[in-house]
Amino acid sequence: MSTPKERVFAPVLREVESGMALPLPDRTRILRELEYDLEELWSRFVDEGIPAEEARRRALDALVPDARSMTELDRLHAPLYRRLTNSFPSGRLRSMERASLGLAVAAVLGVQTATLLRVDLLRDPSPFLWPVLVGGACLLAMVLAKAFQLWIKGDHDQPTRGLGAILVAAGIVLALGFGGTTFDTFRLAGVLEQAPELAEALVPLWLFRSATLLSVAILLALGGGLAWFILSQWVAHVRRAHREVLGLDRPARPKGKHEHV
Amino acid sequence: MAEKDFDVQAFARDINELLVLSTLRDGPKHGYQIGLDVETDSNGLFRFRHGTLYPILHRLEEEGLIGGSWSKAGGRRRKVYGLTAAGERHLSGEASRVEEIVSRLMGLLRKPGRAPA
Repeated sequence: MSTPKERVFAPVLREVESGMALPLPDRTRILRELEYDLEELWSRFVDEGIPAEEARRRALDALVPDARSMTELDRLHAPLYRRLTNSFPSGRLRSMERASLGLAVAAVLGVQTATLLRVDLLRDPSPFLWPVLVGGACLLAMVLAKAFQLWIKGDHDQPTRGLGAILVAAGIVLALGFGGTTFDTFRLAGVLEQAPELAEALVPLWLFRSATLLSVAILLALGGGLAWFILSQWVAHVRRAHREVLGLDRPARPKGKHEHV
Repeated sequence: MAEKDFDVQAFARDINELLVLSTLRDGPKHGYQIGLDVETDSNGLFRFRHGTLYPILHRLEEEGLIGGSWSKAGGRRRKVYGLTAAGERHLSGEASRVEEIVSRLMGLLRKPGRAPA
């Protein structure tokens, strides 16, 4: 059977794709299925002796979904969240999403503080611990918002938007931890310069404060960094597959009997 | 048959779904092959055009009446559909329902006319 050498249906697939409002993996699956069928049907027509251009027209006529079919495909593949919230006014839905995110962040901040209290790490803490905890909660809010957008809401119009900010926020948390420890150290040095006899009492306290601050900051930053890595790798993977099916990245094709359309 | 409002559009959709299910009784097939087989088996009476086949396939897959799986053919990925046990049951049940509807319709169409009063 003849096979088109180039991805001759890629422009058509791009046009079909432009009318889709689905998550990227669903778009890719639909387009990949359509592409295979288009190429196979085209090849079949060509093998039957139909001129290539006419074969292409017939294949497109038979298989490319019209507006009604596209609407039905969009409805069938819409994420569950979108189906459930379809009847909600968009403004109200956005407010509810933001309120839920705020509640989640407040809850995490509460859990963080409670955990530190339980293990007695908030007894005379470094003043930099609070900004680190708030930064960690903000970092978590950003991760939750992005994961919600990508995996629950299925909104993939700008999948990479906000990913860099997660990494920056993780960096800021880490910098606050290290910066705070450095500041505390200089402050301690200043005190000990004037009253060296306080060293025995202040140094263990400083060690305790700094260890707490650094470990919390490193843990939060590592968590944020890991979340950024998972999210960005997932986005890169689905975008690569999507670009490949649209003919924007040319994949290696197996060698065989090829023919131009 | 349950007596309820008869929806012609829903009936037409059901017929399309049954055509797809019936052609999958021969074994798993990919999208355009299903369309071609329906057209060939019905001597061109039923044809899927303008991509109308895909919403039907995806709806049947979502309902669990057919199962879709990806495989590689000639280095390219293709989606193949097969009939599930639920699909087979649905097909036999719906075939009886369609038979009854058509039988009623034919009875109506072939009914001798009443003599004018």
